[in-house]
Amino acid sequence: MRYIIGIDVGGTNTNACLLQIDQAHQGQVVKMAKTPTVHENLLFSTKQVLAEISKDLPVQDWTALEIHLSTTLITNAIVEGKGDPVATIVSPGPGLCLADAGLSIPHSSVGGAIDHRGRETAPLDMDEVRNALRVADLQGAKAVAVVGKFSPRNPKHELAIEDLIKQEFPEFYPPTLGHRLSGRLNFPRRVNTSYLNAMVARLQREFIIKISETLQEKGLGLSPDPREALERPRRKVFLLKADGGTISLEKSVTRPIETILSGPAASVMGALALTEAQKACTVVLDIGGTTTDLSILVHGKPLAEKDGAEVGGYKTVVPAFFSRSIGLGGDSVVRYQAGRIRIGPERAGKAAALGGDNLTPTDAIILTDGGSFGDRRRALAVMKEFCQKIGGSPWERAEEINQAFCQQVVQTINEVFAYLNSRPVYTVSEVLAPRELKPEKLIGLGGPAAYYLPKIARLLAVPYEVLPYYEGANAIGAAASRPTAAISLRVDTALGRAMIPELDLVSSLSHPELFDRKKAEELALESVKEYAGQIGALHPGARFVVDEEEVFNMVRGFRTVGKLFSLRAQVKPEVIKVSP
Amino acid sequence: MEQKEAYAVHDLGLVFFPAFDWAISPDHPEREERLLYTRDQLMEEGLLELPGIIEYRPEIATENDLKRTHICIPSVSAVASKSHLIAAGGSIIAAKAVLEGRVKKAFALLRPPGHHAMRLVHGSRGFCTINNEAILIEYLRKNYGSHLKIAVVDTDAHHADGTQDIYYNDPDVLHISVHQDGRTLYPGTGGLNELGGPGAYGMTINIPLPPGSGDRELLFVLKNLILPILQEYQPDIVINGAGQDNHYSDPLTHMQVTAKGYAELTRLLQPDIVVLEGGYAIEGALPYVNLGIILALLGMDYSRVQEPNKERDLVITAPEVLETVKKEVDFLQEVWSKRRDINLDKVFGAEPYWRRKRFIYYDTDDIYEQQVDQIKRCELCSGYRVIHSWAQKRSARESRVAVVHLPWHVCPECRNKAEEAYDRLNPGAQLDRVYLQDVENDLFLEK
Repeated sequence: MRYIIGIDVGGTNTNACLLQIDQAHQGQVVKMAKTPTVHENLLFSTKQVLAEISKDLPVQDWTALEIHLSTTLITNAIVEGKGDPVATIVSPGPGLCLADAGLSIPHSSVGGAIDHRGRETAPLDMDEVRNALRVADLQGAKAVAVVGKFSPRNPKHELAIEDLIKQEFPEFYPPTLGHRLSGRLNFPRRVNTSYLNAMVARLQREFIIKISETLQEKGLGLSPDPREALERPRRKVFLLKADGGTISLEKSVTRPIETILSGPAASVMGALALTEAQKACTVVLDIGGTTTDLSILVHGKPLAEKDGAEVGGYKTVVPAFFSRSIGLGGDSVVRYQAGRIRIGPERAGKAAALGGDNLTPTDAIILTDGGSFGDRRRALAVMKEFCQKIGGSPWERAEEINQAFCQQVVQTINEVFAYLNSRPVYTVSEVLAPRELKPEKLIGLGGPAAYYLPKIARLLAVPYEVLPYYEGANAIGAAASRPTAAISLRVDTALGRAMIPELDLVSSLSHPELFDRKKAEELALESVKEYAGQIGALHPGARFVVDEEEVFNMVRGFRTVGKLFSLRAQVKPEVIKVSP
Repeated sequence: MEQKEAYAVHDLGLVFFPAFDWAISPDHPEREERLLYTRDQLMEEGLLELPGIIEYRPEIATENDLKRTHICIPSVSAVASKSHLIAAGGSIIAAKAVLEGRVKKAFALLRPPGHHAMRLVHGSRGFCTINNEAILIEYLRKNYGSHLKIAVVDTDAHHADGTQDIYYNDPDVLHISVHQDGRTLYPGTGGLNELGGPGAYGMTINIPLPPGSGDRELLFVLKNLILPILQEYQPDIVINGAGQDNHYSDPLTHMQVTAKGYAELTRLLQPDIVVLEGGYAIEGALPYVNLGIILALLGMDYSRVQEPNKERDLVITAPEVLETVKKEVDFLQEVWSKRRDINLDKVFGAEPYWRRKRFIYYDTDDIYEQQVDQIKRCELCSGYRVIHSWAQKRSARESRVAVVHLPWHVCPECRNKAEEAYDRLNPGAQLDRVYLQDVENDLFLEK
């Protein structure tokens, strides 16, 4: 028997679960735990919930315990602008002026250029780079990010700068290099992502050590000596990523940015773990105290953000589930404005029925649905006060608040689907057979989900399912997640070159004329396996798949001179199915 | 989030449709790969995420959208593939976004192109089958007012003979084409003396540039001829047929225009709608030219848009070239200023009908067509038109058709005569099919 502890640090509560995993990789919930999240000290909440869940652990063999942690540490650091001062060195080459590219972060530009096929069209001036680094040092930078335009097509310049830093500016080593974070093309997003990654790297390092110490105290140590935690980990501790996969704690030190937005990912993974495979287009709603997060499953698979996650106003290349957050939850502010009831987006605090001072949607639910929790008299008192200003009976107005809540959710769902259906497509076959998405089913989790989901489903006229353990289902999602990793392979047979940015690989093909689709797929699959090994994503039973493939004939002067292959291969994203 | 964007007016609506799954034939310049490097450049620049841009999904043009513009022989489905319909439909989407005020400008960055497609379509010529610009113009006139004053400025290196053919006798569409001299490049037409039919004399302007012309010559024509003409004409809509094959690295032409030159042209012209035409330097030119055009349309800085190795590859244009261009501009300025005073009988003869015999070659599909085109000279309207066409595709049987065309704002007398002509013409030994195209009533008959 194996066991997994899943912990999700949410905006309102920190939840934990203990799963027992059988030989067939099926999970069973052994235990759940919950504690309020202390924003100023996330580690405290984590420790609390860990203490509770690890009490009387039925585990005999300690190596058979995995810990999966979904934390908002990095997300919060970015939103609050915490972290190290970063020097961002960019090599923008010709094209859009950086000032116009929507880059809000400070950066210094150096020369050198790579074109869209990965050819060097202007060399790097190392003295210019040296100067930029010296200035960065004088200005007090503590970390460095290096990003070149088209670096995923040829990382030569970024690698040369890394080498220079290693030799001459060891205090900045290792820098964050753009091409290692994503093989997809989007220079401004890659700059943002690299900057943020460099900014939070030290925080992540400290976090890893603190978590290791905490686990040590609980007798769940990563290794007998916390100082060895990074180099020689014994216990498997994973962090949840925005794409619903996990990354091992010690490997996250070089790519902490990937752990952003793990909360919405945990909800989706919870829905996938706790339900049968979904055929219908399903909306997953995580209704919390502060926000409602919306994600979508199409043919049972979570929809991904097209270009990457957005966090704290920064557009990134971090792979992420598609999710939209509405400032609407059980603890939201309720107002009467221009003849209408409006809820959120601010948080009012605890519901009156639960000891707070203000009217919240939770108070309305307690009145109309006779919730089995809270003080109904206090709920009625704040409701009456609300009615004194605007008239009407408390019961009617409470029902109106419920309706307004649900309508705001429905409106967002409709807007999201309108947006998804207007996304551009680039081939004839996609225009001819448009995939018109519409909500066909709802899955809900989070504290208030049991009350709101039936009402929202009625407005949309679709069936719904409230997850078992809906209050802590995101912790189950964190526990049920498996590692993910992806590489981008690009082969240009006219240049006789193969490139995999994630592996720093640029190699010459020995026989470019013999290279074909089959070889491309083999190479991509081999490479993703190697990469998964490097970043600790090689779990037992991992399967590897090519999930994107583009092949173009290259014609020059009425003659075919080669082929371009662009492939993306990944560790097949998986989830442990969990029975309640 | 997105709901905010749905209501904001954007600077630029982009319909990007690279048709990654369609080619004329595997080794043809008009192939899947054509906009691949452009896509890579736009993606890497993060251009589609600029707040001023909104991207629209193309739709399929309907059969009526085509019939309003073309007579497809034998039928729409026989000549136009799905990707042609999507390129035309995408152009319509771009134009609609402008006319509905959702965007200030729009760019239909799509393929296949269309400016060599004439009113009668037996097949493909110059890589074009149906005319994206004309289809969008007819859509706008049908849906937003038939009195719209439209100007088309075609800056492809090849003469826009298709668009010229469709609007040659149309007084509401000013068609200006600047291109490499037809004596040195396909399709061979577009000389200084092609100035429009009797119903729209002076409304067709051709500026044939000598081979080797570059930014200087193109911008000279723009500043000294095209912009003053537009200033006087005051069109409601300016459409730019933005071919990119005047670029110095284009494999099919002999010009020296740069990406920055194109951006400058776009900034000065301020077109409302831009439609991509040709351009086959898909690696060395298109990514940079398209980037330059988009930045110019957004009113953004394009000073850093530059092709790699430009210093090495750009040839200095001889000074005599500009002299030749200046003479052409002088001539056309004079024609434009005197266009209303010219005695048309001296140009077109004093007969009640203007007849011309034409030979048209469809290079892409290897079709030989002969036409007798007859336009009624009318004082009240631009005159109805009867076209007889004989087309021969390799060993296939000759296709013989007749077309009766009723223009926008046709007068009652011309309408009667046109309808009589359609009644008189019947399929038989001499004719396979007869078509009637009545654009005002959106009525398209055939027998």
